[in-house]
Amino acid sequence: MGNFVFDLIGKNIVAALVICIIPLVFILPYALIAILGELKIGAWMQDRVGPMRTGWKGVLQPVAEVVKLLQKEDITPTIANKPLFNLAPFIVFIGAFAAFAVLPFSEKFIPSGINLGLFFVFAVGSFAVIGIVMGGWASNNKYSLLGAMRSVAQIISYELPAGMVFLSIATIAGTLDMQTIILNQSGPIWNWYIFGGPQGGAIKFLFIPFFVILFIVYLISSLAETNRTPFDIPEGESEIVAGYHTEYSGMKFAMFFMAEYANMYVVSAIIVILFLGGWSSPFGTSFMDGPIWGIFWMVGKAFFFVFVQIWLRWTLPRLRVDQLMYLGWKVLLPLSIACFMAIAFLAMIN
Amino acid sequence: MLEALFYIFAAMIIGSAAVTAFTKNILYAAFALLFTFFGVAAIYVLLSADFLAISQIMIYIGGILVLIIFGVMLTTNVSIVDIKEGFTGKTSFIIAGIFSAITCIFFIYLAFKMPFINHAPKDVKLPNDSTIKPLGKLLMTNYLLAFEVASVVLLIAIIGAAMIARRHDD
Amino acid sequence: MVKYFKDILLGFWTIMVGMKITMDHLFQKKVTMQYPERFDPIDTGFMPDNSRNKLFVDIDDCNGCGGCERDCPVNCITVETVKTVPSDGPITIKSGAKRTLWVLKHEIDYSKCCFCSLCVESCATSAIFHTKEFDYSGYDRNELKHDFVSYSDEEKQKKLDNFVAYQIVKKQEDAAKKAADEAAKAAAAQITK
Ligand code: SF4
Ligand code: SF4
Repeated sequence: MGNFVFDLIGKNIVAALVICIIPLVFILPYALIAILGELKIGAWMQDRVGPMRTGWKGVLQPVAEVVKLLQKEDITPTIANKPLFNLAPFIVFIGAFAAFAVLPFSEKFIPSGINLGLFFVFAVGSFAVIGIVMGGWASNNKYSLLGAMRSVAQIISYELPAGMVFLSIATIAGTLDMQTIILNQSGPIWNWYIFGGPQGGAIKFLFIPFFVILFIVYLISSLAETNRTPFDIPEGESEIVAGYHTEYSGMKFAMFFMAEYANMYVVSAIIVILFLGGWSSPFGTSFMDGPIWGIFWMVGKAFFFVFVQIWLRWTLPRLRVDQLMYLGWKVLLPLSIACFMAIAFLAMIN
Repeated sequence: MLEALFYIFAAMIIGSAAVTAFTKNILYAAFALLFTFFGVAAIYVLLSADFLAISQIMIYIGGILVLIIFGVMLTTNVSIVDIKEGFTGKTSFIIAGIFSAITCIFFIYLAFKMPFINHAPKDVKLPNDSTIKPLGKLLMTNYLLAFEVASVVLLIAIIGAAMIARRHDD
Repeated sequence: MVKYFKDILLGFWTIMVGMKITMDHLFQKKVTMQYPERFDPIDTGFMPDNSRNKLFVDIDDCNGCGGCERDCPVNCITVETVKTVPSDGPITIKSGAKRTLWVLKHEIDYSKCCFCSLCVESCATSAIFHTKEFDYSGYDRNELKHDFVSYSDEEKQKKLDNFVAYQIVKKQEDAAKKAADEAAKAAAAQITK
């Protein structure tokens, strides 16, 4: 346990800076891969071939798109509120980036090993809400404002079921620390929380359905919190142009874009940490385990869920606003509370 | 290092609070609060109160600030009204002056009376570990009544809000 | 209550079905034809018969009536004609009707054409029609104008000169005829007197 950067450089300010930069260095190539994945998987699922011209089979397409975005003229509408308009994309990105502070990449690397990792992730999500409202309002455009309103209503609604899921896992794990939660799940695959967690003996098999339901509940709420299809009503092209980032172009639009993709990784990583053993190997502690393999497992599992998000996006149509609220408040919230009670019971008898 | 951070965050709190107080645009005031709250959370972190810091972010930024901004934005025409400034009248000026003076004197008095200002402990031992365990224990033992009462109050507020928001079609 | 859980399960199940479908398609053969490499509509006959692409004018069949020019909603056709003269001999258009006008210019500006096919509708001799060709381009918008008349400038000038000369001849003939008529009339009046 610990942080390999501190072991290498020692506890000083350089190490702190390096630790801050590592997630950023991770996000940039990850975003390129995710954009390529989105383009290619979306195309393949529709029996198309997708971008084919830039590089071999189009693999350089995301690079081209990013370069295009950076070159684009940065337009600020004349009647927009300039300071807030310029600030908003950065606040949204800070919200996404701050969550990386507590996401472990391996046994040996977690940017900040605070004891309140889960709670922290939950709290910094609210930065994105403020940034979205700021951008939506400052654009001085009715579609932007509508998109921002929808987005906030949606994120706040789906924070509740997500919070119940966090609470359940925190109860059974007895901690809010990401690394401890993962350590609890190391060992054979049935120690993962989706299979009921490490303790409990035979009785825990009775509780597996609850864990699976919680897993699905979190998967759905995480889609809603990142504004991904089928919960993309804040950006519904057919209704409100592009929602809260309608007026943005160039770099600032790229910021929103990056924040969305960073958020996709964050929620995928949280799914993996909470339910699928984080960086621990599915083959137990003896095979393909260790700090280096940890990075592979952590990022690999998280990438699988990024793929699932893309997969869902190209499968499902957008929900209506009332359906969205119905799902959040009347289905996911009661289900997650029921599962929370069941899991609290399991934690008690253990 | 830590001291420098403290001064940076303190400057951020005071600066953004000043924006909140003096700006004419009511939405700037609301958004400036974001930095005030964030700075306060940072000060909590410097004081090793990690749980409090994250709660500050979650409750004040994620909850209260969003509510304030929504209230301001959804209230008709409030977002474009300029707050009036200048001399509003003799009577109100005198009354405001008296109240400010009294408050000011009271705070200065309080500041000099407070034990932690008079004799600040020289070497405070900041807890190395998270504060969450002792906090949880205290909330579930010594302060259980206050904790439960607070949750009941919140529950009542939720039910009340739901009742008010319901459509009355009789 | 039962319905509530049934709905949840049904919703979940339908999502699973949908995801299976997209997963199947992920590995299916793709239908995209990479356009310049693998697409030649004229050879493969891929374009349907009623597709409306680049226009072509069979100038031997065009009688120069200017119907297409008048009907074009974007005014991209320019037709210039001159009348035939008797010395040209008995000329016909391809479909056999008598040619009364030489077409000196029949230009279509493809950069303006909206492929509405109204010119095709209006042509009585079916001289103008859509081909299957659609991929044409140019570095200058003037390159997108196409004149279907292949006469050289001298030939055109000759046709114009012929017409002008014929006009003069015809005027003289007319004047002579008129004078003859008048003379005949006067003679007739003399007789009746
Ligand atoms: S297709 Fe329509 S637009 Fe094009 S030349 Fe014919 S009439 Fe004009
Ligand atoms: S309508 Fe047909 S015949 Fe008449 S000018 Fe046009 S192409 Fe020639």
